[in-house]
Order: sequence, then structure tokens, then C-alpha cells
Amino acid sequence: MKVTRNERVNNMTIASMQGVIKRYGSHVVLDYIDLDIQEGEIIGLLGPNGAGKTTLIQTLTGMIPFDRGKIELFGNSKNPFSNQNKERIGLVTQEITIFEELTAKENLQFFAGVYGLKRQEKKKRVEEALEFVGLADKGNKVPARFSGGMKRRLNIACALTHRPRFLIMDEPTVGIDPQSRNYILEAVKKLRENGTTILYTTHYMEEVQAIASSVTIMDQGQIIKNGTVEELIQTVQHEEKVRIDVTDPDSVPVNSLEKIAGVKKAIVAGSQIIIISTFGSGNLDRIITLVKEHAGVLGIQADKPNLEDVFLTLTGKQLRDKEEE
Amino acid sequence: MRVLSTVKFTVLRMARNYIVLLLLLVIPIILITIFSFILSESVTETGVPYHYQNALTMVLVFQLFAGAIVMYLIDHDLFKENRMRIYTLPFNQRMYAFSIMICGAGYSILLGVLLMIYTQFVLGIIWANWAWMIYIISLMAILSIIVCLIFTFSVKKYKIAERLSELYGVGFVVLAGLFFPMPENIFFDFFGTYGNPLTLSIMSINEMGQSNTGKAWFQANILLVAIVLLFIVMLNLGRRRKL
Amino acid sequence: MTIFRFALKRVFGNTTNLIFLTIFPIACIFLPKGEGWPFLPYGYQYFGILILFIGIRLATIILEDRGKGVVKRLAVAPVSHFQYLSQNLLAYSVILILQCAIVVYGGILFGQELYQPSRLFLLFVSFCFASLAIALAWISFYRRKDTSFLLYMSLIFLIVVLGGLIIPIEIFPDLLKRIAVIFPTYWLAEGLNWIVFGENILDFLLINSVLWLYTIVCIIIGSTRKIY
Repeated sequence: MKVTRNERVNNMTIASMQGVIKRYGSHVVLDYIDLDIQEGEIIGLLGPNGAGKTTLIQTLTGMIPFDRGKIELFGNSKNPFSNQNKERIGLVTQEITIFEELTAKENLQFFAGVYGLKRQEKKKRVEEALEFVGLADKGNKVPARFSGGMKRRLNIACALTHRPRFLIMDEPTVGIDPQSRNYILEAVKKLRENGTTILYTTHYMEEVQAIASSVTIMDQGQIIKNGTVEELIQTVQHEEKVRIDVTDPDSVPVNSLEKIAGVKKAIVAGSQIIIISTFGSGNLDRIITLVKEHAGVLGIQADKPNLEDVFLTLTGKQLRDKEEE
Repeated sequence: MRVLSTVKFTVLRMARNYIVLLLLLVIPIILITIFSFILSESVTETGVPYHYQNALTMVLVFQLFAGAIVMYLIDHDLFKENRMRIYTLPFNQRMYAFSIMICGAGYSILLGVLLMIYTQFVLGIIWANWAWMIYIISLMAILSIIVCLIFTFSVKKYKIAERLSELYGVGFVVLAGLFFPMPENIFFDFFGTYGNPLTLSIMSINEMGQSNTGKAWFQANILLVAIVLLFIVMLNLGRRRKL
Repeated sequence: MTIFRFALKRVFGNTTNLIFLTIFPIACIFLPKGEGWPFLPYGYQYFGILILFIGIRLATIILEDRGKGVVKRLAVAPVSHFQYLSQNLLAYSVILILQCAIVVYGGILFGQELYQPSRLFLLFVSFCFASLAIALAWISFYRRKDTSFLLYMSLIFLIVVLGGLIIPIEIFPDLLKRIAVIFPTYWLAEGLNWIVFGENILDFLLINSVLWLYTIVCIIIGSTRKIY
């Protein structure tokens, strides 16, 4: 899908949230959010379930009001959620929000119509969008007959017919097969090449690592770290991570492990004990000896740090529960 | 008016909801046909063939359920699954809801007219005043839609709203005394006559059939006033639900 | 009997079901007598329609299980399909029989003239089993709960009219009179007439036997479709 844009301005701030607070009763869902999104960026918004990612999107798109702070879209902070601004935004929802009674083509025509596209242009854009998500031959079929992955792709296409400058994708790959996931990630990369600004929320760090130019990590309603993937990984480069497969992980005293010199954190994850130590602490012998006293060691592996480790170091928990993986 | 571009698709969605089509068109056709076979030889006290009165009642009874598809679409698009996407679209959401209402009313009136065509041309029932009949069908359809939306806006659980709308439909059929005679007291007398949209519609059409224009208009106007008042209630409830 | 116990729990855990299962049958007791027809009070003539609705509402729980894959999980548990089905049906039967008892014996307490209450109770019980079995057979053709429920409701409209529960069969044209025999509602209507006028017990047995025949045939149809 080709994007030609006259109104594009380099380094323009597409969206900005300043000190945004959103409460539900006494529960703070968004806690003083500061976020700037520059034109052409792909921001990976990473956080576990319940971190506040979807609420952030709902606030950013004007769906729900916020209690304090300021939101600016396309340089407009007085009326950021005007129809003019809405025309420049595309939203890929976490739920599949398509009309089951309409064919794939009709779904796209609906959205293209709402975005004010004229007849010829609409026809062209609908074809393009279908082609873009690999559903060109399924245009006249109703989504009820689609697989989960195909529905997800149609869900994305619905947000693309009007060629948004700013595309918000809320967990677009939840619950789909690896093939469709790859297809979607490739599509996002193509959009990036065309200059679309994308806010991509997920709790799959591999996806963020693959597509995002910068990453924002959220937990419990707060933004806890910003930066490029490399920058964030560098923050934990001074650490070593060792995974030990054991026979009975629950019998290993995690507290005792954390008392070993150099160990910063020890956690049990499924059948593994994950130990994060200061770089060059040379404590592997002692760790293994202690583990062996309580359980059988089945294997040891040392990992290079990734975004998961960044998250682990920052929050003390994993992005996903083991079962989810 | 970008909402206009959605009208075609709203109509398509309604027409492709086969369950609605079945309940509001196919079942009435079958029931009217069966009743007309069974009652073909009976006549009412005024000498009118009984199956004519039955067809009239049936056409109007099913209008009591006209709001079902509208409440489903509005709930689905503006309160449930599609809410997030619809609210980010550059159009007026209230106008969109209003367009669904109008489409729903149009669709229901069309189904009512199809029933009239079927009964006239297949079963030989003579509808004396088509225009009046269509006017009353329209009032019934609009009223049902408004009532259903009031239920949708006033309760949080859609399932309960659905049950209430069924209660509205079945309730007024029962109160009209179509299943069994109702007890004789002020409450049942009122809801069996002027407080019952179904009875009002039937009376209005019968009066018009007997050229009692004044009475017919009076009964139709009661429906109209109810529509206006309930429309205001509906708007306020809709606003409260942040529509 | 875990499945039996939980089937009951699930039925009573749902507010709509609870209303359906208590308020409507009680309301039947208080409906007035007809003038000339029906011969029993309206509530007893129409209780059959209610039994049909309750039958599908209960059977839909099995369809829900099928849709959600709960039945698949049970298939790998040490529970046979027969046990699953029979315990569910037993729970539903208990509920329906209780309702019959409420309607019939509540009617006696209220002072309704029911002619032969015990036989009326037996007739309703036979019809309950037929209703449950028909609903079971019906849902075996469907995957989606809503579609199955709505279509069955439409079917109920037709069979209560054609079976003579709403309009006396005597005024039907000959062809429709003959066709009516194939509907279970016809046999219920005949049974209700027998309660008022019947003398020969063999007629009553024949009516109940036909209802039981419906039950057996439909249970066989409904239980052949297993799960997946």
C-alpha cells in the first residue's frame, strides 16, 4: 500500500500526553503519563495485562475523559479529538471489531465511507487494503467464515483504508497463529517504510524488538522507562542472567540465593530458577552448589539480555505468565 | 453528513440478520396462513370474516417486536464490541444511532407492508385503507423501537434489556386479551384499551374502516403523543449513557 | 451424581431461569376459566406451552456446554457421554416435575376445578418428558445457542396452534385436523379434554403412550450426536 502525503512534516510531534491522570474511583489507572510520539516513529508500548495500555489508548483517542493533564494531537491541544484529527488516526482494536453480517469488502467500504472517501478513491483504497492484508481473494466472503488470523487481518485493514498518519494498534496479534502474526508484523514494517507513525501495544516483547524504533514500558498505570530497544537493553548490560532447570523448583530457597554476593534477583519461573547477578560477580559456583542442595540440576543456560530482562529488572516480574507463552 | 454513507450497510446488516427476518416475516406469514385456513368460515359479531381481523392483529402484533434489531445494533456498535472503533471514527455517534433507528423503523414498516401484500394477494384479505394501515404500522414500529432503546439505555445488562423488550411485546398481547380474558378492573381496562398500543392500533384501523375518521385520528394521536414523550425520555437516558 | 448436582446448581444460578421456573408456573394457577373453551382454566391449557419453553431453555445448557467445549473436557474425564446426558436430563426432569406439582396441587389449593388432578399431573409429567426429549433432539442439530432457541420458539408457535392448544381442534378444516395428530401438542390437548370428559382409562393410556413414544424417539435422536 503506497502512502503519499503532502501534509507530512519531519519531526513533527504527532501525539503528546503531558501529566495525564485517569482514575476509576480511587484506583489510578493512568498515573501521570508523559508521552511524546514523533512523526514516522513506531513506538512499542510494552506492559503486562492490566498495565493500563488500553486505557492509555482510549484516553489518547478521546474515547474516555481523563482527570488531569493535557493531550495534544497533530499540534492541536484545544480540541485534540476533533473530526479533522480523527480522520488522521486509525485504530486497530484489541477485540475484533468488524461487522460479521457484512462481507470483508463491505466492512472496508463502511469505514472508507465514514472517512469521507469518494466513490473511485474508495474502491481503489478498499482493494489496496484487502491486498495489503492478504485477503484480496476473500473480499466477497463474510467474516463468519474466516479463521481467527484472517479476522485479525481484516480488523487491521478496517483501520487502513483512509491511510492514517497515525495508526494505533492495540494488541493486534492476540490469540492468533504464528503465520498470521508474521504476516501482521511484516505489514507493520511496510507501513513504517511508508512513513506511518505507529503506536503498537503488546505484551509480546519479541514483537516490539522486531518492529519498534523506540519502546515505552508501562506497569501499573505508569510509564517506567522510555528509549530505543538498544538503549533499554544497555541498561541491563551490566547484569548476567542464568537460567537453571531444576527438578523441584519450589524447594529451592530463593531468599538464600539472593543473599549470595552479586545476586540481584532470583525468581522461580515454571521449572526454572532465573538468577540475575551483577556483571562479573563470579558467583555461579556458589549458586549451583546451593541449588543442588535442594533440587536436582537438569541444565544451566546463560542468556543475553533482552527486553524481557529489562522489564524483569525494572518491575521484578515477567511480562507474561509462563502459561501464556 | 458522513453518517449517510453508513445507511446502506446498516440496511444490509438488518436484511442479513436471518433470525429477524424469520421472526418478523416468515413466522407471521405462516401463522396468518394457518389461522386463515382454520378461521376461513368464521365471522365476527359485525359480520367481518374472522381471519381478516386475525390478519390485522398479527400484522400489528409483530410490530411490537420491531425494536429488537435496532437495540441489538446500537448495543453492539455503541456500547459493546464495536464501541472503541466507532468512537474513534470522524462522525457524530448520536447521528449514527439515530440513523440505525430510522433504518430499523423503515425495515420494520417494509416487513409489515410485505405482510399486507401477502395477505391481500395470497389470502384475499382486503385492506380498505392502505395509507392508514401503513401509518399505524409506522407508529407501532417507531414506538417499539423507542421503548426497546429506553430499555437498552436504562439497564446495564443487555440481556435484561432484551428480556424487557420481550415482556413489552408479549405483555401487551396478553393485556389486549388475545390469549385469555383479562380481569375487569380499572388497571386491566386501561391497559386493554387506551393504555395498550396494540389495542389502540387495532381500534384505530377498525374505526377508519368504518369511516369514523375522528375516532381513528384520536386513537392514532394517542400513539403519536406516546412516541413524542418516550422519545424525550429516550434522549435523556441516551445522554446519561454518554451516547 | 456430580453432574446432576451441578446441573441443578447451574439452572438455579441464573436469574432469568429462576424467574422462568418459578413465576410463570405460579402465574398459571391464577389464570381465569374460559367461557365454553378451554374446558380447564387457561393456565392449565397454556401450561403445555410453558413446558415447551422451559424444555428448550434447559436443553440449551447442554448446547452451551457443546459450544464452549466443556463436553470435550468431560469426554476425556472418566465420565461416559451417557452419564453426562442422563444426569443432566434427570436434573431437568426433576425441575419440570416439581413445576407440574406446583401448578396442579397449587391449583387445588387455590380452588381451581381440575376434575382429576392426579391424572392431570401424570399427563403434564408425560408431556414434560416429551418436551425435554424434543428439545434435546432439536439442539443436536445446532451449534449456536441463540439460533437454536429462536428457531425453536418459532416452531413452538406453530405446533401449539396446529396441535389445538390455542384454538379448539373442532373448528379446524379436515386436512388440518388430520395433520394435527403428528404434533405432541395435539396429544396434550386430547389429554386435557380427557381429564374433563374422559371415561375410558385406555384412552388416557394411549395418549400418554404416544407422548412417551415421542420421548423415546427424540432421546435416541438427541443422544446420537455426541459432542464434537
